[in-house]
Amino acid sequence: MRVDVRALGACNRLAERGAKQAAGALSDLTGTDLAVEVTGASVASGEDLAESFAGRESIGVSVGLRGGLDGEAVLAFDAANVDALLSLLPGGQSMERSAVTEVGNIALGGFLDGWANYLGKAIDMSPPRYFEADGAAVLPDGALAGDGVFLFESRLDATTTDLDFSIYMLPDSGPFRDLIVGKTAPAATAGGEADGGTASTAVPYESLSTFSSLAKKGSANAADNIAMMTGLETTVDVSRLRFVPLADVPAEVGTEPHAGTVFELQGEPSGYLAILFEESSAAAVADAMLPMEPDEPLGDMAQNALCELGNVMTSGFIDGWANVLGTSITHSPPEFVHDIGASTISPLVAKLSERQDYGFVIDTAIQTEGIQARCDVYALPDERELARALDRLSGP
Amino acid sequence: MTRSLSDDRPDGPADRTESDGDAVADAEPAAVTGGAVPDDPGRIKVGVGELAVTSDDAVLTTSGLGSCVAVALVDQRTGVRGLLHAMLPAGEGRTTAVSRPAKYVDTGVDSLIGALDDAGADPRRLEARVAGGAEMLDLTDAVGPRNVERVGEVLDNAGVPVVASDVGDAVGRTVRFGPDGRLVVRAADGFERAI
Repeated sequence: MRVDVRALGACNRLAERGAKQAAGALSDLTGTDLAVEVTGASVASGEDLAESFAGRESIGVSVGLRGGLDGEAVLAFDAANVDALLSLLPGGQSMERSAVTEVGNIALGGFLDGWANYLGKAIDMSPPRYFEADGAAVLPDGALAGDGVFLFESRLDATTTDLDFSIYMLPDSGPFRDLIVGKTAPAATAGGEADGGTASTAVPYESLSTFSSLAKKGSANAADNIAMMTGLETTVDVSRLRFVPLADVPAEVGTEPHAGTVFELQGEPSGYLAILFEESSAAAVADAMLPMEPDEPLGDMAQNALCELGNVMTSGFIDGWANVLGTSITHSPPEFVHDIGASTISPLVAKLSERQDYGFVIDTAIQTEGIQARCDVYALPDERELARALDRLSGP
Repeated sequence: MTRSLSDDRPDGPADRTESDGDAVADAEPAAVTGGAVPDDPGRIKVGVGELAVTSDDAVLTTSGLGSCVAVALVDQRTGVRGLLHAMLPAGEGRTTAVSRPAKYVDTGVDSLIGALDDAGADPRRLEARVAGGAEMLDLTDAVGPRNVERVGEVLDNAGVPVVASDVGDAVGRTVRFGPDGRLVVRAADGFERAI
């Protein structure tokens, strides 16, 4: 079975619209303005999903779907964020169950309107069922059994108060995959850019799963290399392959000052890789690498140290890809960046956007023990080249 | 319950196979931004590749400008203002410029002027303030300066004078466009000035 990445883009757009409707409904309900910051589709195996939900507690609602879309849809809030949400709702804490059920029902309803509209068929929703779940128990039945599901995730952010949370949408994987292939793939052809066409962007579903695992290995390599160079113990917190509108990537990095390194990748796939630390993390990591405390926190010495670290991490990251994809990928020398996070990544996004609107983003959070430091790695491969390489991967 | 069909048709490439034939023209309404809450009287966030217009006291903001460019237009007499956050210089002739005109400087400025016109501004009275277009990286062949250059050309063609700008260098910027028609530009180091 082949999935067209442009079709995935169309679905992502739908999910984004659904999330906006959900945000609008929640804004009305809570009297607090909410905006959708990022919507992405994760491509993950059941095993990877189980891992990424491990240790999380969620509450939310699930509904069964019939008609235009079959399966089960789940909307979950991180349990940690529920108090903040409830405090905004009429009835507040005392109404927890019914308030969450109502919010979930409204948000899912808005979300599904978009799909029904697109499919040209009504979608029947069973009454919402409230749940509290540990870890991967939040996922719809069957999500963990198959070779993969699409997880739509939208982050909603209150514009005036300090509240943000995520909505997860997990269409039942089998019927949803049929939908992507059956309905959106030919539709995407009509909208393809003249210079590309969709033949070059259709990839076997299985290789997306493979690439997702690959992203995880790359992250582990990069983390090991940090440990080797700094002597600090490292762990990979999150590593996921997501499909997102490129224009959303800067917002995801955020407006806090960041420092780090960026690289251009050449080969198949080409693209960019950015390793970004929050300012204090960058200084702490550079400090750990240097024999003596530098004169200024992010001066020349620290910059050299971070460039050297970036080099080693990037090699670790892309070596894994090249091995599995059977291609050769090289990287440019590091370029040091230190600015508003979103600003540092915007030129990379702009360059990629000349050829594509959506992109695969591999985001990885690496945490160091001992000192408080965390970095995010954004790998932004060229969509067509990645699709070609993945296609070869599944080979005859 | 049943989720039924509504008038809010999704856009994007998928629409073009719909049989009713009206789907191609449904680009985003120009006066509404993707990430924004349009009826928020306080602050309207304009995301990357988006634009927004207001005729009341709302403050239009956009953050994390690197190589991207912000174009702020105002008709001082009516107070109608608009802000564009464009990513690339030229969209003319591209398929995506139809569905996302604000991604590009040329199609974005055209859309912004059109939206201001619709909101009651007189295009002949508009004045422009421009910020961003930094040269953040050596890796990415001067996309910032090319954006700034294109803004100049497009505004010139439209007959809109640029009254102030804060562009170029290698610095990220965040901007606020308030009801006084001034554009407040804050650089990554916290330095702020109104232009």
